[in-house]
Amino acid sequence: MKIQEPNAGALTNFEVLEFLRSKGASKDPTRVIAPVAPSEFKVYDYLVQSAASNQTKQSIHEFLNRCEKYDLAKAEKLNILNIRPSSVVEIDPIIEECEKRMGSEVVEELVEMVIQVLPPPPGQVKPDEAADEDNEEIPDQEQMETN
Amino acid sequence: MFFLSVIEHTLRLPPHLLSLPLKEAIKGELETLFLDKVISSLGLCVSIYDIRSIDGGFIFAGDGASTYTVVFRLIMFRPFVGEILVGKLKSSDANGLRLSLGFFDDIYVPVHLLPNPSHLLPDPDNKHGVRWTWEFQEEQFPIDGKDEIRFRVHSINYPSIPVEQEKEAKPFAPMVITGSLDYDGLGPISWWV
Repeated sequence: MKIQEPNAGALTNFEVLEFLRSKGASKDPTRVIAPVAPSEFKVYDYLVQSAASNQTKQSIHEFLNRCEKYDLAKAEKLNILNIRPSSVVEIDPIIEECEKRMGSEVVEELVEMVIQVLPPPPGQVKPDEAADEDNEEIPDQEQMETN
Repeated sequence: MFFLSVIEHTLRLPPHLLSLPLKEAIKGELETLFLDKVISSLGLCVSIYDIRSIDGGFIFAGDGASTYTVVFRLIMFRPFVGEILVGKLKSSDANGLRLSLGFFDDIYVPVHLLPNPSHLLPDPDNKHGVRWTWEFQEEQFPIDGKDEIRFRVHSINYPSIPVEQEKEAKPFAPMVITGSLDYDGLGPISWWV
């Protein structure tokens, strides 16, 4: 074995997930018929519950276009795509010397953009939907009491 | 956390695979060779991405199989130092935490990289278990296995295979990631949301 090129490019979680999907990992409920190894299924299981599972090519392109003005390193963009931080405190460890480089207002703007462009991971309800559910629950309870 | 690597390998194709198309046969052989294995300094191989070229097909004297030189790309799991990853708690003891990504388990968070000050307290749910608890402004934040844990990659080590291993020693791991929780925004997700 000869290593020709140890680093021939980074992949986002989304790209690896798309690759495993194209091999048929998502279409085979039995997990025996598709030509996907058990170890690949483990990676698939990890990625499918991560932020990558709802992302699309368009949303990633849009994110890359819109974050150009923030002057982020490639690794930082990659990490934001993989984690999808939804608050300032979550983005803080990803970006090196966040406050010094950008200032708190710009960071807030960036987080807003991330929330807008990248879809939330599965199992995490969008904040407005959760609020709606709360509103719905209250009249129900009142009805129960009057009944 | 995933990278592509270009590898060249000289491969002996056993004759029972002659009935298959060449590309398929070689891919199958490569999968048995590389999948779910750690290549030192390259990381854990997740998948064969594509095959770039297949050369040769030479049959050595006295060998009943053809030998090919294949150039192919692998998807490697190799986080970079400083990357933020999300994992689940696997176990905790006096030395720190052990985290798991589901497909990779050898992630350790030693005591000095836990949020400061952290204390080791007995686990109320498990009689023999222990649990690390971060104390912040007189409030207790326990690290339990309930939600996912964000950590920063502190270092990646590829220990060499030991010549002699003690009977009681834990199983040999070819790739060990040391993680850190000692920063704002790291630790269980529920701490910060």
